[in-house]
Amino acid sequence: MTATEIGSPEMVLVRYGELALKGKNRGSFEHALIRNIRAACEPITPLFVERRRGRLTVVPERRVGDVARRLQDVFGIKTVSPAWGVEPDPERIAQVARAVLADALLDHPPGAEIPFRVQSSRGDKAFPMTSVELDRFVAPRVLEGTTGLKVDLKHARLVLGIEVRTERAYVFVRRLPGPGGLPVGTLGRVLCLLSGGIDSPVAAWLAMKRGCSVNFVTFHSAPYIGEASKKKVVDLVRALSRYQPKSRLYVLPFTEVQEAIRDHAPSPYRTVLYRRMMQRLASRLALREKSLALVTGESLGQVASQTLENMTCIGAAADLPVLRPLACYDKEEAIDLARKIGTFELSTIPEPDCCTVFMPPKPIIKGRLEVCEQAEAALDVEGLVERSLAGVEVVDVAHEGA
Amino acid sequence: MEPIYLDNAASTPVSPAVRAAMAPYYEESYGNPSAAHRLGVAASEAMDRAREQVARAVGARAKEVVFTAGGTEANNLAVLGGARARRDRGRHVIVGPTEHASVRKTALALVDEGFEVETARLDAQGALDLDWLADRLREDTVLVAQMLVSNEFGSVYPVRRVARLVRARSPHALVHVDAVQGLGKRELSLGEFGCDTLSISGHKVHGPKGVGALVVREGTAIAPVTHGGPQEHGLRAGTQNTPGIVGLGRAAEDAEATRPAAVARFAEMRARFAESLSRMDGARLVEPGAPAQEIMPGIVTMFVPGVPASVRLHHLDERGVLASAGAACNAKTKAVNPALLAAGLDADDSRRVLRFSLAATTTDDEVARALEVLEAVNRELETVQS
Repeated sequence: MTATEIGSPEMVLVRYGELALKGKNRGSFEHALIRNIRAACEPITPLFVERRRGRLTVVPERRVGDVARRLQDVFGIKTVSPAWGVEPDPERIAQVARAVLADALLDHPPGAEIPFRVQSSRGDKAFPMTSVELDRFVAPRVLEGTTGLKVDLKHARLVLGIEVRTERAYVFVRRLPGPGGLPVGTLGRVLCLLSGGIDSPVAAWLAMKRGCSVNFVTFHSAPYIGEASKKKVVDLVRALSRYQPKSRLYVLPFTEVQEAIRDHAPSPYRTVLYRRMMQRLASRLALREKSLALVTGESLGQVASQTLENMTCIGAAADLPVLRPLACYDKEEAIDLARKIGTFELSTIPEPDCCTVFMPPKPIIKGRLEVCEQAEAALDVEGLVERSLAGVEVVDVAHEGA
Repeated sequence: MEPIYLDNAASTPVSPAVRAAMAPYYEESYGNPSAAHRLGVAASEAMDRAREQVARAVGARAKEVVFTAGGTEANNLAVLGGARARRDRGRHVIVGPTEHASVRKTALALVDEGFEVETARLDAQGALDLDWLADRLREDTVLVAQMLVSNEFGSVYPVRRVARLVRARSPHALVHVDAVQGLGKRELSLGEFGCDTLSISGHKVHGPKGVGALVVREGTAIAPVTHGGPQEHGLRAGTQNTPGIVGLGRAAEDAEATRPAAVARFAEMRARFAESLSRMDGARLVEPGAPAQEIMPGIVTMFVPGVPASVRLHHLDERGVLASAGAACNAKTKAVNPALLAAGLDADDSRRVLRFSLAATTTDDEVARALEVLEAVNRELETVQS
């Protein structure tokens, strides 16, 4: 254990995807990414973010390891590399690279021979060496006296990266995966209908992954369901808040709607009609807050009533496009994702939601739109919508920990 | 006269801010946090905020914080729960050389369950012997526990190095860091340490007694130790201590906020202790592992020749200075703490070790007065002896 102890990395190099980077999108893409990085990391440390040559440099004041972990949750990021800084001088770079490599070898089982290479890139053309020359300069110097490495340019498993800039050079070995996708906010805002179940939080996460900023609406049937059910939904929003800078939850009163449908509509159609009202209310809210689409956790065939026919009846009540990211997912796939994103545990806490109130004994499987419309003719739809919207409660949730 | 309290590594007074934060949860929002009504929800929301406060103080996510009834319980959960959850992967456990009893003895309790427990070693200078550790780690090692800051000497152990050695050699092992003495003194960081679990306690940082937390990295398997309700992700059954948890949250946040200034002051105060001891024949600070390992300056452990530490402490107590005895040798086994041996002290010397531990609230004036008293007591006891 005589290897020079090297301190924490100085910064994190952030690489992002190239797909969305055409023309004028690029600026807003990067701007959103920086804003989201700040929201994710500033609760634990002040930091400096710089945009440079198609990647970002995140320099936290401290806790660089925790920052790297958090960056792995920021959509739009492809990979991150905690890196050590050094003056841009070949000898000094080799010295630091040697220490970084010794440190990296701690992660590998002793005895194994690891294919290795140096890979430099040079942003500063005034630097006295080309990238290839720097590779060749550094490699023998870091390998001298080091065991367990063999140079293999093609199949290297341990790649010592060097990035030379005018004022500083950076050395790194780890490339941690980011979540991919597009920065939240770059594709506009959507409104997600959130129940306490497993699917809708996953649907919201998928929408975020594709660059949507997601607000939420949930329907509350007090006094049939209580405060704890509402808190469960708030907790879900909070669990998702680690993936976007800020979230808003609208809680709409839904009791009167459900009672009216129970009392005046054909029993098998109740569930479909509840859901049509939800689409109407959500559409109204979405237009008001300038959301561009609705998001639901609907999944084909997941329960007997989630048929294409019913989906058509329900979707027809929406005034905006409805995104159904889980439409073609298996339940197991949705559960796996829910576990991965940290919502599964919350979703499975047994609390009733408004869907469980006044369930019909025999829900319709293949609903017909004209029957829905006929049933609704007996209701004061506009009045129900107005009164629910008037009772809206707004819960704002900052990024987790902010 | 108010005593000068220099035993803060043992416990600290609850700060007025912490007490005020806790008060509403005794008589107003007293509902069971698992209850569905508004008083339950209010209590549960207060715990959410405390969870975020603790998470920020250790660089973790809120959902990674498991509240426990103190540091000891957090260490028990990590050691027993971590090892048991991995018993199919192996039965080999390594604990640090100077772990607190709540880690050391808990690990020994695993022996009855078929685990093999080894204690890591210190090198000749009293620093953690990383070569020994690297050599002993095995494929079937399932738990390695290494404290961050020694409660006895303030030695700061290289937990990041330990975690990485373990990862490379023992892919199934859980790495636990007892950071009870680190909160408010060192930057605690799940990401920087690279460990799986990390324990903290409220009453070491002006929070209430009987509340602590185990921070569990997302995705880490732990078997519950207490069984019952589903509280704390099923890892710690039992109605949560809402006021205590609220107090812990506030205390952790404050400790982290005052840390840089406090540590700078500790270093100055420590220098004054050293300067004072330099004027006394044979007395010195005990700093095992230094300079290879840092010493957290707020724990000032010293060797003072002459009468046993207990006698000196009684004299100090009588004059209003409260400190404690350092790690003595084990009364039964006569085994001397390996850190003391490394610091050049034998079994006899080990009974002459005193510990003064500082807090963010300790003033320069208190230290000055304590040193005056210490010097006076030392002079007096010298006369008595001769």
